[in-house]
Amino acid sequence: MTKGAPWLLAMSGITKRFPGVVALEDVSLELSGGEVLALMGENGAGKSTLMKILGGAEMPDQGRIDLDGNPVVLDSVREAHRLGIALIHQELMLAPNLDIAANIFLGNEAAVGSVGVLRRSALNLAAGALLARVGLARAPTTPVSTLTAGQMQMVEIAKALSKKARIIVMDEPTSSLTGAESEHLFRIIGQLKADGIGIIYISHRMDEVMKLADRITVLRDGRHVGTLDRDQVTSEKIVSMMVGRELKNEYFPPRAAKTPGPPVLEVHGLIVPGTARPVSFTAERGEILGFAGLVGSGRTELMETIFGVTPALSGSMTVAGKPYTPRRPRDAIDCGVYLAPEDRKRHGLVLPMTVAENISLPNIASYGPAGLLNREAERRAAEAEVTRLRTRTPSIFQRVVNLSGGNQQKVVLGKWLAMAPQVLILDEPTRGIDVGAKAEIYRHMAALADQGITILMVSSDMEEILGMSDRVVVMHERMLRGILAREGLTAEGIATLMTGRTGAAA
Amino acid sequence: MRRELGMFIALVAMCLLLFISNPDFLGASNALNTTRQISMLGIYAIGIGFVIISGGIDLSIGSVIGLTGVLIAKLSSSAPPGLGYPLWVGIPCALGVALLIGLGQGLLITRLKLQPFIVTLGGMLLVRGVSQTVAEGGTISFGDAPFLELANGGIWRVQGEPLLPYPVLIFLVVVGIGTFLLHSTVLGRYVYAIGGNREAARYSGIDVNRIETLTYVISAGLAGVAGVCYAAYIGQMSQQVGVAYELYAIAAAVLGGCSLRGGEGTVLGIVIGSAIMRVIDNGINMFQLQHRDEGGVPRIWRLDPNWTFIIIGAVILLAVILDQLVHMVNAARRTRRAAASAGGPRANSVDVAPDAKTS
Repeated sequence: MTKGAPWLLAMSGITKRFPGVVALEDVSLELSGGEVLALMGENGAGKSTLMKILGGAEMPDQGRIDLDGNPVVLDSVREAHRLGIALIHQELMLAPNLDIAANIFLGNEAAVGSVGVLRRSALNLAAGALLARVGLARAPTTPVSTLTAGQMQMVEIAKALSKKARIIVMDEPTSSLTGAESEHLFRIIGQLKADGIGIIYISHRMDEVMKLADRITVLRDGRHVGTLDRDQVTSEKIVSMMVGRELKNEYFPPRAAKTPGPPVLEVHGLIVPGTARPVSFTAERGEILGFAGLVGSGRTELMETIFGVTPALSGSMTVAGKPYTPRRPRDAIDCGVYLAPEDRKRHGLVLPMTVAENISLPNIASYGPAGLLNREAERRAAEAEVTRLRTRTPSIFQRVVNLSGGNQQKVVLGKWLAMAPQVLILDEPTRGIDVGAKAEIYRHMAALADQGITILMVSSDMEEILGMSDRVVVMHERMLRGILAREGLTAEGIATLMTGRTGAAA
Repeated sequence: MRRELGMFIALVAMCLLLFISNPDFLGASNALNTTRQISMLGIYAIGIGFVIISGGIDLSIGSVIGLTGVLIAKLSSSAPPGLGYPLWVGIPCALGVALLIGLGQGLLITRLKLQPFIVTLGGMLLVRGVSQTVAEGGTISFGDAPFLELANGGIWRVQGEPLLPYPVLIFLVVVGIGTFLLHSTVLGRYVYAIGGNREAARYSGIDVNRIETLTYVISAGLAGVAGVCYAAYIGQMSQQVGVAYELYAIAAAVLGGCSLRGGEGTVLGIVIGSAIMRVIDNGINMFQLQHRDEGGVPRIWRLDPNWTFIIIGAVILLAVILDQLVHMVNAARRTRRAAASAGGPRANSVDVAPDAKTS
């Protein structure tokens, strides 16, 4: 980068508040053309809020944004597009029913002279040129629904290029890609750099960041912790910036080395719909069994099968020694197997209902005689769980939609704790939750395990896996790659299995 | 309850205005007839309320109302083409058919995962066609069978007029049972939960399919009950009876606070919504302004009855616009308040160690 020339992008003093939380506080970020800036931080550190502001989806409460040294106001997604800023989200935003060309020029058809009426041949021609640039050898008329995740990623990049993007933000672009697809992506990123495009690369994967990034900006708890040149840093240093050592000690409750207990959940040769290989493992009484893996590695699907949402194709399970064949969630619940799902707003909570109504939902029929509501019993149960989990809510009659993420998660937990679980499945238990509530949830998990409850914890957060698990099951591409004991558990050992590389299998 | 209260105040204001403009509005015969109309609408509006609160929609109830009446006429009318079976055969048979229609639609929607709009649209046309076939395209009269007493008779007669006509009595029973089911039983709780978030309800172990099917059975069943009342009220049945009634019921439910997204609404609100619909209907006939023309001759100005649908449509739009505005203002106020409080000490924060400044 040339000294004295203004940054391609400079965000300074960005502050953003949401009800109940400060998402960003005085955050700054600079990017020059032809550079890859890695943006790192744990879930909830503020990365996605910062990128939403850059993409025009949110307005900052304070702070300024300059492009080429000129202040700009990004008050809409359209305006951000106009200024050459493109965001590629982790969950790709393509219309699967349309073809590649239509997706690339969606909302931007005028770029190839289609005003009102689509000029298909021009669309396809322009799309073909962009596809060549991103190295995707598929016809522009191919429906997007038939593409692999990696190919869709390339369509997203082509879409960004079609808008003459000068800044491209990629949010965890490799999370659902195979190794070869990732390599291809890295080559394309190299080309984009050579074309002078500035890239903000959000990732949790250290090896990628060390390989791609020119500089690294780390956020934690909505604050800018530091920006470093790649040559100045080691992975360890970045991790310590991301988690904050002092914090980490009180983060995870100390756990005594677990003595082997009787098996509670035994899974033999379970075939989850959509997978090829059978899965077998055993979870013991009072154990926290971590499930590590990348997004799309099949952990959530496995948990939903254990909970009866999508019944297994074959294989067998036992709970406390008794045969267990859940065909629907009710069967699982009747056996004391409960799931706090990954997407709690979609699967875990009825948002317009109150805290009390959500907590009592699976169990309300047992409170009163003959199908009648017993509001008194409901109130008592809800009060007990709210107190036990220290849920911050004005009252149990508050609608859940008004609570913060951490307190919503406590409502989901309370719903199941009110029913004496045998096996508690927690899928990404602290996703989108602020640090304080996170530490509390960890304490509750440890306490529940000490009471003899078996916990299956799916997590994409390596620190969480390392800090909480007694043993770790590692999955990759819908297969179980290994089960690691707590002794000698390292991030590297797990990561090796997570990425499908062989060698260090336990 | 905010929506219910607002609508109740609007209803009272409307009645007052109508009474001032035309005292006959609360005269015995008009008041009685309006109450009967409110009751008959209310019966099936509560039925569709179960469906709407669970997040579905039922377009077939107008046709079910029609078919119930036509079947009773066909089975029990003594004049040809009636078959002359006693009413205790005709009415249960007709109601049974109504329940089966609801069950069939419910099963299609829940087991085959078909969209409620399409299933009940098909049901609406199909059932209407069955009515037409049974009535052979014509009209079946009940003559002056004692059956007509069901609509016109009642209890507590005062000067020959019943103080509590049977349809009103049936309505009150339906209101009672509906309120109890929706607000005091586990079934009702499940209906709200499914409307609020179907997936979360399923993940909480609720048998979503069974509850949803049941809401369509309730809806069709109450449409059947209303059909019995309408048959007695009109005294003769053709395939025309009940056309577009489902739209009145949906409008009544929405006016009363139900959301077509599901999860919201109360029986009380639906009752108020039904009353508003019928009072507007009646008010268009009753409203009048007395004035003198240039010659000083007293004249009476009335609303053009052709405006009926314009006024009803406008009222529905106005109600939802007002509701949405209140909603948006409240949401904005909440956000502002939250932002203001977050500006102070951080909520939900833990003591964070001083940042390890590395740059």
